[in-house]
Amino acid sequence: MKKIIQNPLALGGLIIIVAVLFVAIFAPWLSPYDPNYIDITSILLPPSFSHLMGTDGLGRDVFSRMLYGSRISLLVGFVAVGIATLIGTFLGAIAGFYRGYIDSIIMRFVDIMLSIPTFFLILAVIAFLTPSIWNIMIVIGFTSWMGVTRLVRAEFLSLRNREYILAAEAMGASDFRLISKHLLPNSLTPIIVSSVLGIASAVLTESGLSFLGLGVQAPQSSWGNILTDGKEYIQFAWWLSLFPGLAILITVLGYNLLGEGLRDLLDPKNKNQKK
Amino acid sequence: MLNYLIKRLLWMIPMLIGISLISFFIMHLAPGDITASESAFNPKASEESRQKLRALYNLDKPLMTQYSLWLKRIVKLDFGNSFASHQRPVLWETKDAKGNISKGMIQDALPITLMINLIGLLIIFALSIFLGVVSAVNQNRWPDRLITIIVFIGFAVPGFWLALLLMYWTGVTHSWLPISGLHSAGFEKMGHFEQYIDLFKHLILPVSISCLGGLASISLYVRNGMLDVLQQDYITTARAKGLPENKIIYRHALRNTLLPLITIIGLSIPGLIGGSVIGESIFAISGMGKLFFDAVLMRDFPVVMGILTIGSVLTLFGNLIADIGYAWADPRIRRGISN
Repeated sequence: MKKIIQNPLALGGLIIIVAVLFVAIFAPWLSPYDPNYIDITSILLPPSFSHLMGTDGLGRDVFSRMLYGSRISLLVGFVAVGIATLIGTFLGAIAGFYRGYIDSIIMRFVDIMLSIPTFFLILAVIAFLTPSIWNIMIVIGFTSWMGVTRLVRAEFLSLRNREYILAAEAMGASDFRLISKHLLPNSLTPIIVSSVLGIASAVLTESGLSFLGLGVQAPQSSWGNILTDGKEYIQFAWWLSLFPGLAILITVLGYNLLGEGLRDLLDPKNKNQKK
Repeated sequence: MLNYLIKRLLWMIPMLIGISLISFFIMHLAPGDITASESAFNPKASEESRQKLRALYNLDKPLMTQYSLWLKRIVKLDFGNSFASHQRPVLWETKDAKGNISKGMIQDALPITLMINLIGLLIIFALSIFLGVVSAVNQNRWPDRLITIIVFIGFAVPGFWLALLLMYWTGVTHSWLPISGLHSAGFEKMGHFEQYIDLFKHLILPVSISCLGGLASISLYVRNGMLDVLQQDYITTARAKGLPENKIIYRHALRNTLLPLITIIGLSIPGLIGGSVIGESIFAISGMGKLFFDAVLMRDFPVVMGILTIGSVLTLFGNLIADIGYAWADPRIRRGISN
């Protein structure tokens, strides 16, 4: 923790993340209006003190919608990455622990999944399911676990024959115990780094899908679909397009900064660079 | 080298089968029937005519039979005809009995996407090497800090948002650049030179947007790679020899940093192809991304499966070329393979 504060990248990222989390958690108390309240008397008002980010084509308060949108983006990010990390860690652990043909099968599957353009895959699946926030999380999760698998496997392969693992094995520890008590805790670093970076890319993917109209559906607000609405009004209501994009940018920036910062901090190979 | 090539090519066969399985089953596990959406636009479509449609596309047969029929056809590079879009062939042009040629959908779309992404890759290469080297040489001084900040922001900017803003700013408020398509009206009547200028103007925005993510990640990669290499003993040796700093950086350090970049470029192909969906939709460019998006919305199974397969095959070949390029460029591997 102390080290995070000393690393400017990681610290910047952490501050952004905490701020966005705060906004997402306290959205109901922070938002001045009901995000879905349609007020036909105040359509497309520019930003002012009563509407900090203006209003949209239906007279809804953009600031309130943005606050609630942060919940969607973060929820999608966390759950999707959670799914991906679980699948990836599980498969990577099995591949790295048992090696041999199990390893070959899993890794060939990873290669195949990696060679299908991910966004095509996501689109194809999403378009045939009804677009909803749950389907998006699941689909993003199921199409982004390959990186974690490779990392965990590589880590397991390098740890597998260390003395302390062999000692534990000689003492009769079960496979499950070896994996969960000895190997996994020592492979946490790459998992954490890739999860943090994964959240950034999941947030981007979700907003892209919502932008295409295949993501979170109205009236639920997400940064992506506020932007889609904004596209229609871009000639006379710039605020509808500007703010959601900025919010996505800042959030993604936060996770990327923290991820890269953690990588620098936790990777022993990088230490000599700091000289 | 030859052995390595053959081994590498043979490996692609199981990969291709796996890819075809995934593309096929994802499309068919999804609920929703093509005949339902086709007849939705045509209230006169009876249950009987739907049955005929299903039989025509083999949708009435069991899934495994459908797959083997499909596989048999794609081995001959026949991806069938589009359900929507007037039955156009998915991959390549065909002649009908009267000698009318109908061009393939991917045949039309692929060159466009390839052109945008190849130009993009060249720009990414040139700019990110420059940025990465400047950053590494000035480590922890202001040029490095500035470039790092720009790189991180470039990484985080949602491409579609920037595309929208740029399109509005350069196209609508200032009318500097055309905002959609690849050609202006009256393109056919222009001279050759004017045609190039016109195409160039249309390409500026889409290519810039397609460069965004790659530019950020590869500059960061070049920077970190350079920092790593500059720590090596042979760099110290070169310095001790009294070589000029320029020569050390460009001859010794940069070359070794660039080697792994070949692989990275290979790995970035699926992202580039996938990323074309949003860019091409915004700029109304009829490349692979837009074709795929439209096909997905219309549930045009053959087109979706065709593009998924062709996109993945392209990726496989991209990786193959990258691996061969790597082996060719790195004398250690080159010797290792021939032994």
